[in-house]
Amino acid sequence: MEDAVRALDLTKTYGTGPSAVKALDHVTLTIARGTVAALLGPSGSGKSTLIKALGFVSPADTGEVFFGGRLVVKDGVPLADLAALRRRHLGFVFQKANLTSFLTARENVEIACEFGGKSDGRKRARELLEYLDVAGRERSYPEMLSGGEQQRVAIARALANEPSLILADEPTAALDSVRSRSVMELFRKVAHDRGAAVLVVTHDHRALDVFDVLYEMEDGQIRAHQQERPAPPAAR
Amino acid sequence: MNLALRDVRRHVARFVGTAAGLGLLLSVVVAMQGIYAGMVDDATILTRAMRADLWLVQRDTRGPFAEGSRLDPSVEARASAVPGVRTARPYTYQLIQREQRGAVMRIALVGLGWPDDPGRSLPLVRGRRLQQPHGEMIVDASLGLGIGESLALGGEQYRVVGLTKNALTSGGDSVAFVSVADAELIAFDQPAEAAVLERQRVVARLRGTDLGRGQPTLEDLVTDARWRAPALASPPVAAVLVEADPHRIAEVREVMRSWGDVSVYSQDEEEALLLGGVVQRARMQIGLFTVILTLTAAVIIMMVMYNLTLEKTHDLAVLKLMGAPRTRLLGLILQQAWLLGALAYAVAFAMGELAFPMFPRRVLITETISLVAPVATMGIVTLASILGLTHVMRIDPSVALEG
Repeated sequence: MEDAVRALDLTKTYGTGPSAVKALDHVTLTIARGTVAALLGPSGSGKSTLIKALGFVSPADTGEVFFGGRLVVKDGVPLADLAALRRRHLGFVFQKANLTSFLTARENVEIACEFGGKSDGRKRARELLEYLDVAGRERSYPEMLSGGEQQRVAIARALANEPSLILADEPTAALDSVRSRSVMELFRKVAHDRGAAVLVVTHDHRALDVFDVLYEMEDGQIRAHQQERPAPPAAR
Repeated sequence: MNLALRDVRRHVARFVGTAAGLGLLLSVVVAMQGIYAGMVDDATILTRAMRADLWLVQRDTRGPFAEGSRLDPSVEARASAVPGVRTARPYTYQLIQREQRGAVMRIALVGLGWPDDPGRSLPLVRGRRLQQPHGEMIVDASLGLGIGESLALGGEQYRVVGLTKNALTSGGDSVAFVSVADAELIAFDQPAEAAVLERQRVVARLRGTDLGRGQPTLEDLVTDARWRAPALASPPVAAVLVEADPHRIAEVREVMRSWGDVSVYSQDEEEALLLGGVVQRARMQIGLFTVILTLTAAVIIMMVMYNLTLEKTHDLAVLKLMGAPRTRLLGLILQQAWLLGALAYAVAFAMGELAFPMFPRRVLITETISLVAPVATMGIVTLASILGLTHVMRIDPSVALEG
């Protein structure tokens, strides 16, 4: 199965001297397309730092990141246009949905399509909202949506450009258990239907059965790597 | 998708409210410029309306507007005799204050050299020129008098026969035009009390002289209410206005400059005297005030733009994280700044149309102000958005990940 992203020996240290904190300590991981993976670990274990490094937001100090088989960051130095990579190949879902407050649900998805160079943004936004069962709220502003609806719109936005990798940082933290499970299942559906790799940072152990792969971080290291079941092949 | 308009649409009331506030501020800046332009125009309109090639005034004075000028009336005849002079006419100028219908009226009274000048060059908007040497006047509409109304001056009634528009002095006082003879009558009018006191002084002086003691009947004469002291000299005029053949103006001027009792100014020089002397301080005052107001407006707009950007920090971080091109985000800020500027200018313009005519001083929106004000507004809002643009550049997309 094709790798969506592969990180090799990533290290990242915040601060210097005795107060230095090693957020990533020689982390290596690979996420294949069509796989939904969970990243577990206590606060301060380096999960967010890893997400930032894999999302090309804040590169690691050393190590390499391959995207779609191509080396794009080496020892903190970008070897490609990272903003363009984010625009076209990555989708982000956050803890609080983080929809753009002055855009309606549809526009939040449409703008992502526009950034990704899609010409039929409006049509695609409607399709995605329909796919995620929030088509009826397309004209609503984020503040008018419930937490679950907001997350669905955020997922629709993350899918706007058919990304190879979706990074979700505690996307269910603000949701009840029913909605939380529903969102996790959505990620699984997206990964399996659309062949995207999904990495979800979560503290929520109630829906771990949804994931194909579990990573556990502690003190900046990937401590455990548990593969519960083989990932199904990508749909496309 | 235009992000700037989408954001405005979401917060339309606040945006329009901000624009209205800035518009009011801009209207004050424009008003200051307009008041200054009005002051300059008022200062020069009077000299321009006289259409004189040369102004003869008292030697070594800068009269008749910047300072007082007293010129022997014979200068008129002398000037008329100079080869190349077409006409020479006397001119008087004095400020008076009267009450009419309970309101204080400040009037700059200009005496026109009847019959040569019945007000031919005045910009009349209603009525006619003077047709009689006595009892008629042309006034500026700002005095609030209508055609046919009368004004009591110097114990006489003067009927308004013509109205001008914007004939004001640099101090903003309305101008009234009468014949020179009437102007002198008004100028030398004495209240009854003053006349009685003057007679008593004459009697006292007579008693101290041999003439008075030798001819006691003289006392009866000077105490008679119908008696007026003989004028030893004709009353002076403020200036003599000369029109000359266009190609001989320099020659005429040279001749007149050789006279020991007059100073000669061209029309431009007379205007420069007004602007340099009378208006200069007001010009500096208003100029400085305008600069301070403009800077204040710029700082306020800058802070408004910065705050509008700060409020969007998280949204902008999310958009950055999604890979939004930098130009789109900078465009959002700039377009909102321009929209704010355009709306604010529209409010300022509307305010000007509604409120400026009600100002006690004339607010003259010149063509230059009309062109420069919107351009300057857009320039200011563009500069003012620099802080906001800098903030956009500095936003770290990882802020979005921190919830």
